[in-house]
Amino acid sequence: MNIFNQTGKYFALMLKVFAKPEKHSLYVRQTFNEIENLGVKSVGIVIIISLFMGGIMTLQVAYNMSNPLLPITLIGLGNRDTLILEFSSTILALIMAGKIGSNITSEIGSMKVTEQVDSLEIMGVNSAGYLILPKIIAVVLIFPLLYILSVFFGIIGGLIVGPAVGAVTATDYLNGIQFSFKAYYVFFSLIKCLVFGFLIASVSAFFGYTVEGGAFDVGTASTRAVVNTNILILVWDLILTQLLL
Amino acid sequence: MIKIRNIYKSFENKDVLKNITKDFNIGETNLIIGRSGSGKTVLLKSIVGLLEVDSGHIFYDDRDFTLMNLRERKKMRQEMGMVFQGGALFDSLTVEENIRFPLDMFSELSSAEKQKQVDYCLDRVNLNDVNKLYPSEISGGMQKRVAIARAIVLNPKYLFCDEPNSGLDPETSILIDELVHQITVDLKITTIINTHDMNSVMEIGDNILFISDGEMCWEGNRKEILHADNHKLQEFVFANKQYQKIRDDKINDQ
Repeated sequence: MNIFNQTGKYFALMLKVFAKPEKHSLYVRQTFNEIENLGVKSVGIVIIISLFMGGIMTLQVAYNMSNPLLPITLIGLGNRDTLILEFSSTILALIMAGKIGSNITSEIGSMKVTEQVDSLEIMGVNSAGYLILPKIIAVVLIFPLLYILSVFFGIIGGLIVGPAVGAVTATDYLNGIQFSFKAYYVFFSLIKCLVFGFLIASVSAFFGYTVEGGAFDVGTASTRAVVNTNILILVWDLILTQLLL
Repeated sequence: MIKIRNIYKSFENKDVLKNITKDFNIGETNLIIGRSGSGKTVLLKSIVGLLEVDSGHIFYDDRDFTLMNLRERKKMRQEMGMVFQGGALFDSLTVEENIRFPLDMFSELSSAEKQKQVDYCLDRVNLNDVNKLYPSEISGGMQKRVAIARAIVLNPKYLFCDEPNSGLDPETSILIDELVHQITVDLKITTIINTHDMNSVMEIGDNILFISDGEMCWEGNRKEILHADNHKLQEFVFANKQYQKIRDDKINDQ
């Protein structure tokens, strides 16, 4: 029954979040702040992870291609499609759920237990709207951009590591990443990014907003937020893949 | 003026407030006192609408708050200011931004006018040169004063303070008490303070409600409290021997 109770509370909170803002200009300003805090500050980690994963995936595809009849260009193609279809959307979303999600839960949770949320309510501010809506908009906007960045640097990672260790030449790799390219895969993954971005921000905010108690409870809520967001990302990945591919 | 009538509130079948009725007067510091866990904070949060009462009515100058819809309550709340136990300042904003926040959200004043109002409020609570500091960079007493400044920046008609002295040294506590009292009288607002600090009671208790186990046990003012014939109140007041001595001295003088 708890899951139904929590789901009901989540949707009730979302109704509050999407209520009409008191002052649009303040919400817009807050959204830009969140884009910087949650999005721009994630660029570094996205680049590092993507570079390494692109390199590692290139090596693994190369080492597993023992059949001499398979064209070597498949290494670039394998790396590209893995990045476009799954790594840069789903795996990155799981990583971002840990980074951005726990940040959102602990920030809102701390505000809740120190009565900052109550003080917003007393002022007549819709605390859920003011605190959560800018975060949702920021993450939904920034996540597709992080995805594109991740695909780009993942491919660059393969281009650096593959030729460097002699697994594939730069020309073969570049031919591979251009071979049989399907733009729909990118479109499909961008849709996944919008859904995952919404899930990361809204589910994490829900766990932060409903926390009660003290610092320990905020920590527990952060963990629960990350676990639940990860599960939901995987479930929605399955649903969207079945529906859209 | 705030009137509460027959307030009941329970959590999971445990009665926390039982039939509380009281008038809180304008231009006076109205105190709700009682031991920890007596229901003071629940009562205050019920009055401001952070908690919903199970039954009863709350009137703000004859406007029934309990019957208002969400939109009416939000409008009503712009007439309220509240100082929370821990200050509840926004950590990510500077002192000045904290005080300016309600103005940014609800007023149509120009930037210069907002700044003037912020400066006035900071001056009102005797704080200078802290505008650009963050809450974590100032003392607990200063944080309380910033919270008071933020609470009065929209010129509220009703001010609520939840244990404003908690965690402060006696000297700073007296300063905060005097500040709240002075603001109440000067601005002619209705102020309700939750406290279990007997020093505050004796300093600024114009109109006092004592609750114990969620029940109204006594009401009166600071002049009457030492001589009140109420067992539970006496236990609360004379837990500090200093007040027993004051009462005994007065009786001996008579």
